[in-house]
Amino acid sequence: MNAPIPRDIPLPLPAPEGLLEVLLIVSFLVHIVFVHLMVGGSLFSLICQIRGLKTPDYEKLAYRIMQTVTVNKSLAVVMGVAPLLIINTLYAPQFYASSALIGDMWMAVIPLVTVAFLLAYVHKFWWNHFINIPELHIGIAALETALFLFIPLIFMTNVNLMLFPEYWPQVKGFISAMLLPNVLQRYLHFISAAVLFSSLFFIWWTGRKAFLQEAQFSKLRVIDVRRFFYAFAFGATILQILTGLVVFATLPAQGMSWGFTLLLMLGGATALPAIWWMWQNLTRPDHLLDDNFKKIMGCFVGAIIIMGIARHDYRENTLADHKTAIAEKTANYMAAVKEAGEAAQLAAKALEGKATIPGESEFNQNCAACHHATLPTVGPSVQEIKAIYVGDPAGIAAWTKSPGKKRADSMSMPGFPHISDDELAAISQYLLNH
Amino acid sequence: MDFPIFHIDFIGNRMLIAFDAILHVIINHALAVGALPVIALLEHTGIRLKDPRWDTLAYRLLKIIFIITTTVGALTGVGIWFSASLVNPAAIGSLIRVFFWGWFAEWIVFVTEVSLIMAYFLSWQSAARSAEAKQKHLHLGIFLAAFSWITMAIIVAILGFMMDPGNWLAERTLISGLLNPMYFPQLAFRTTLAMVMGGMTMICLTYLFTRNDFGFRASVLRLVSSWSIAWMLALVFASIWYYQVIPQHMFANIPVAVTTQEFVSWNSSLKWLLIVGLSFVGWVLWSSVKHPGTVHGAKYIASVLLLFAMLGQFERVREFIRKPFIIGNYMYANGIRVEDYPLLQRDGILQHATYASIRDITDDNKVSAGREVFEQTCTRCHTVNGINSIRSQLKKMYGDKLWQSDVIAAYIENMHGARYFMPPFPGNKAELNALAVYLSTLQKRATAFNGVQINGIPKPDKISAATFYGALPNLDAPHGVQK
Repeated sequence: MNAPIPRDIPLPLPAPEGLLEVLLIVSFLVHIVFVHLMVGGSLFSLICQIRGLKTPDYEKLAYRIMQTVTVNKSLAVVMGVAPLLIINTLYAPQFYASSALIGDMWMAVIPLVTVAFLLAYVHKFWWNHFINIPELHIGIAALETALFLFIPLIFMTNVNLMLFPEYWPQVKGFISAMLLPNVLQRYLHFISAAVLFSSLFFIWWTGRKAFLQEAQFSKLRVIDVRRFFYAFAFGATILQILTGLVVFATLPAQGMSWGFTLLLMLGGATALPAIWWMWQNLTRPDHLLDDNFKKIMGCFVGAIIIMGIARHDYRENTLADHKTAIAEKTANYMAAVKEAGEAAQLAAKALEGKATIPGESEFNQNCAACHHATLPTVGPSVQEIKAIYVGDPAGIAAWTKSPGKKRADSMSMPGFPHISDDELAAISQYLLNH
Repeated sequence: MDFPIFHIDFIGNRMLIAFDAILHVIINHALAVGALPVIALLEHTGIRLKDPRWDTLAYRLLKIIFIITTTVGALTGVGIWFSASLVNPAAIGSLIRVFFWGWFAEWIVFVTEVSLIMAYFLSWQSAARSAEAKQKHLHLGIFLAAFSWITMAIIVAILGFMMDPGNWLAERTLISGLLNPMYFPQLAFRTTLAMVMGGMTMICLTYLFTRNDFGFRASVLRLVSSWSIAWMLALVFASIWYYQVIPQHMFANIPVAVTTQEFVSWNSSLKWLLIVGLSFVGWVLWSSVKHPGTVHGAKYIASVLLLFAMLGQFERVREFIRKPFIIGNYMYANGIRVEDYPLLQRDGILQHATYASIRDITDDNKVSAGREVFEQTCTRCHTVNGINSIRSQLKKMYGDKLWQSDVIAAYIENMHGARYFMPPFPGNKAELNALAVYLSTLQKRATAFNGVQINGIPKPDKISAATFYGALPNLDAPHGVQK
C-alpha cells in the first residue's frame, strides 16, 4: 500500500471496538436524519416563500416550515457530537489527518454554521418585519439555504478523504480533496435524501390534526399541500435510487466486497415498494392519500438502517489494511520507545557514579541558555560576569534573587524562585572558578 | 509527529483555540449557567406576585439567551473540538481515549439541555393557559438550569485533569482522572463566578428593557442583585480555595503567564487588580440592593466587562500554568509524550515523524531540514511572522546583533531550565543545529510558513510507509521489534 502509515494514539480504546461501532452507526443515523430535516426544511421554506409571492398561503406555510427548521437544526448539531466523538476515538490517525489536509475549510464549518443559524433566526423571528420587503426576506432565506447546502459538502469531503490514505499525498487543500472520486456523487445522493426525508416529515407534520388551525390558510387546502410534499417525496426517491446507482458504480474498489454489495442492493430494494405505494397514494382520491403512509415509512426506516450499516462496512473494508499496519507500527514504536527509555536510564545511572564539579549541572540547567562562555548572547557572557563579580560569589547570588535589567540592549533577567540558596551558592562558586 | 501539521501563521494556532474557547466560556457562564437560574427566579417571582410584568421580562431575557446560546454558544463549543483536533490532535486524541465516557455522558446531558431550552422557550406562551401549566413550565426552567450546570461540571473535570493528572499517571482510569486534586476547587470557582456573571448580565439587560417602568425596574434589580451578591460572597471563598491548590511548580509560571517577563512584579499588582475589580462589582451590587433605582447603568456595564476580563485572564493563566505540558507530566505542549523523548533525542525526531519529507541532515539541506524540525517541534505554539512569532522572540533576545546559530543552539538546548514554560528540545544534536541555522536565517528573510492545508503532505517514503523500526535507515543502535 502506497500510503503514509502513522502511529495510533498509544492508549487503549475506552470500550470494545464493536460497541463503539454500533454506537457510531446509531448516533450517526440519528444525526443525519435531523440534518436532512434541517437542510430539506430550509429548502422547502425557500421554495414555499417564493411561491408565496403569488399564492400568499404558501408564505404562511413557509413560516410554519421554518418553525421546524429552527428546532431540527439545534438537534442536528447536538446529535452530531456523539458520532464526532466516536470517529475521533476509532479513527484518530485517519480522521485527524484528513481534517488537517482540508484544515481551513474544516475550521470554516464553525462560522458558516453559526451564520446559517443566525440567518435562520432572522428569517423566522422577524418574519413580520419583512412584510413590505419580501425580496430581502427571500434573499436571507436563500443565503441561509445556500449555506445549509454547502456545509454538508465539507463534511462529505472530509469523511471521504479519511477513507483513502493513498490519496492524501496528492491533496492540496479543500478543492482538490472535494474533486477526489466519489465526493460529488455522494453529495448529490445526500441532497436527494434530504429532500426525500424532509418531504416525508412534512407529509406527516401537515397531516396532524392541529396543523389546519396552526397554518390558518385562507384558500389553500391542506390536502393540496400534502400532495405537494408527496410529489417531492416521489421524485426524490427516484432520484435517490439513480444517484445511489451512480455512487455505487463509481465507488473506489478499495472497499468493495460481496457482503457490502449485497447490503447496498438490499437497502436499495427496500425503497422499491415505497415507490409503488407512493404512486398509488398520489393517484388515489383525497381521502385515501395516507393509506400506505406507514408502510412507506417502514420501507425507508429499513432502508436507512441498512444503508447506515453498509456505509460503515465500506469504511471498515477500505481501512482494514491501513488499520492493521497502524496497529503493527504503533506496537513496534512503543517497543522502541521502551528500549530507548531503558537505555537512557542506564546511561544516567552510569553518570551518577562519576564525580561532578559542584554547581556545574545546576549552571547548565538554569543559566547556560542565556550565558555563553565567551559570547554575549541573551545575557552577558560568563567571562564578563567573572570580571564584574571577581571574589564576590555572594553578589551573584544576591542579583539572581532579585534580578532586573542592566543593559539597554538586552532583556531583563527573569526570577529563579525554584533554585535553593545552597544551589545558588554552588552555581556562583562554579561561575567564578571555571 | 503522527499527524499532518495544520498551521496558520498569521493569527497562530493557539489564538485560534483561544478566541473560540473564550467566546464559548463567556457565553456559557454569563448566558447559560449563570443566567438560567435568574430566569427561573424571575418566572417564579412573577407567579408568586401575580404580576405579568415579571413574566414578560423573563421571556424577553430568555429569548436573547436562546438566540445566542443555540447559535454562537453551541457552535463555539463544537469549535473547540474542531480547533483542538486541528492544532493538537495527539493531545485531544489522548484525552478522548481517557475521557470518552465522561464526554459521552456530557453529550447526553447536552442533548437534554438543548431539548429543555427549546421546550422552555417555545412553550412559554402556551404555558400561560393555566396555573398548573405555568407551574410545570417553571419546573422545566429549574431542570434546565440544573442540566446546564451539570454540563459544566463534567467539562471542568477534564480541564482540571489537563493541569494536574493527579493519580491518573499511575492508575490510568477515568475515575482517577475525574477525581484529580484540581476538580472541586475549580468547579466551586467557576460555579460562583458564573452565577455572578449571569446575574450581572441579566441586570444589564433588565436595565435596558425597563426604561419605561422605574418602579418595576427597582424591584427586579433589588432581587437579582441580592441573588448575585450572595454568590459573590461564595466566589471570594472559592477563589481563595482555588488559588491554594494550584500546585507549587505551577505557581512559578504565573508571573510569566499574566504579564511579560519585563513585568514580573505585575503578578502582585494583578492580584490587587482582581481584588479591586471584585470589590467594585461587590460595591455596585451592594448599592443596587440598597438603592436599586439610583445606580447608573454604566456601572452595571462596567461590572460585566470587568467580570468578562477577569474570566478571560483566569483562562489565560489556567492555560499557561499547565505548561510546558498540555497534559500534565504526560505530554508536552508540542504534542510529544514525555516517554517518547529518549528515543527521539537519540534517533532524531525527523526519523520518526510520519509526515516529514527530510530524514537526514546534511550540510546542504540544513536550512530546509531546520524548517522541518521547526514545523514538528515549535509550530504548535509559535508562528514565524504572526502572533507569538519566533522572529519577535529572537529579536527580543538578540536585537540587531547578528543572530548566530551556535548561540541559538546553545540557548535552545538549555532553555527549558530558564524558561519553565518551554518543553525540552525533543530532537538530536544535528537537528538542534539545523533548527538553529534555520532560525538564524529568519533575521533577514522568512518565507511564509504554511501548514498541510495549503502545502499538502510529502509522498510516503521508506520511513512513513514502514511498519517496523528495526530496519530504518540511519538508526545506529539495534532496536525495535524485528518482524
